[in-house]
Amino acid sequence: MSGISVFINMIMNILSDIVLLIGLIFVFLGMLGLIRLPDVYNRLHTTAKIGTLGAFGVMLSILMRAGFAPIGIKAIAVGLFLLLTAPIAAHMITRAAHRHGVGLCKESIIDEYGEARER
Amino acid sequence: MIRYIPLAAIFGIIWCFVHGTFSLVSFIFGLLIGLLAIRPFRFLYRPEMNFRLFSPPNRIVSIIRYFMVLIKEIIKANIAVAKIVTKPKINISPGIIAVPIRCKTDLSITGIANTITLTPGTITVDISDDHSTLYVHCIDASDPAAICASIRDDLEKYVLEAFE
Amino acid sequence: MISLLDFSLIFMVLAFIPCMYRIIKGPTVPDRVVAVDAMTTVIIVMLGAYSYDKGSVFFMDVALVLAVISFVGTVTISKYLDEGVVL
Repeated sequence: MSGISVFINMIMNILSDIVLLIGLIFVFLGMLGLIRLPDVYNRLHTTAKIGTLGAFGVMLSILMRAGFAPIGIKAIAVGLFLLLTAPIAAHMITRAAHRHGVGLCKESIIDEYGEARER
Repeated sequence: MIRYIPLAAIFGIIWCFVHGTFSLVSFIFGLLIGLLAIRPFRFLYRPEMNFRLFSPPNRIVSIIRYFMVLIKEIIKANIAVAKIVTKPKINISPGIIAVPIRCKTDLSITGIANTITLTPGTITVDISDDHSTLYVHCIDASDPAAICASIRDDLEKYVLEAFE
Repeated sequence: MISLLDFSLIFMVLAFIPCMYRIIKGPTVPDRVVAVDAMTTVIIVMLGAYSYDKGSVFFMDVALVLAVISFVGTVTISKYLDEGVVL
């Protein structure tokens, strides 16, 4: 009996390490996109999606390692909150930037929202 | 006051998450705090808003299928954007396009907007005044008709089944 | 031998550099808001890793409050940029 539980414990530890590494790499790639992409709308694509999923992965790895202890439940609460609020914050800041007068970058090919607002 | 019990139950579950222990004592404590917290803000809850705690069973199956599709799309989105970021030379053609939608209620419009933000390469910017068109920023806008078709066929079907 | 905590903290400090660059250099105000929001995500990940390694629950509370404050701050600044007033 104890041999099986030790085995499951080891498997969960290895899986949580893998999920933690994937989450860290995704967060790093999101921040790399912040420096490489040309304008604010494209930068939001990386921080609102990749950064949030990376943070959720780190919190999920804490839950997998600690089980349903208080630290694991609080970690998954933080992860779910991030996943719920990231699209709302991205939508608000995009709309505010467009109405504030931040233009699209010079590679852009179409802007139907600006045309609809001029009419 | 009895009308606010389902809302206060949601507060109780959130309190269980924040407190870190799932037990009946902490749930009831959170429910009482939730009732106290709802009382000053009860003008925000309209009386005609019928809040159902239990949905019909066929609705629950559609909601579960919607969340499966959402998880699959989130993973696909992250791999797609990570590929763009790690390319040595960034070659993109972004733009904002107008996407017509069929959703009518506020809940389903919120659902489709959040789903679009979490799917590959698209972010919702705004909704038109008559609630019939979403403006979507795409990281690759070279073919607007294909993006409209993919949103209509792949995502909006599940949102309509689940929330309307 | 480098431990997993050291590795994750070094990696997150490396992820800090683009955020600081964008906050200092960013041409417009929304760029800076996006960078501050992203920096909060990095700090939350750091707090999670540190809290797990030390076995202390209290850093997790700090992370939760930081997530809430980041969301409210982003929404407030967007409303200010959009309409000129907050409430």
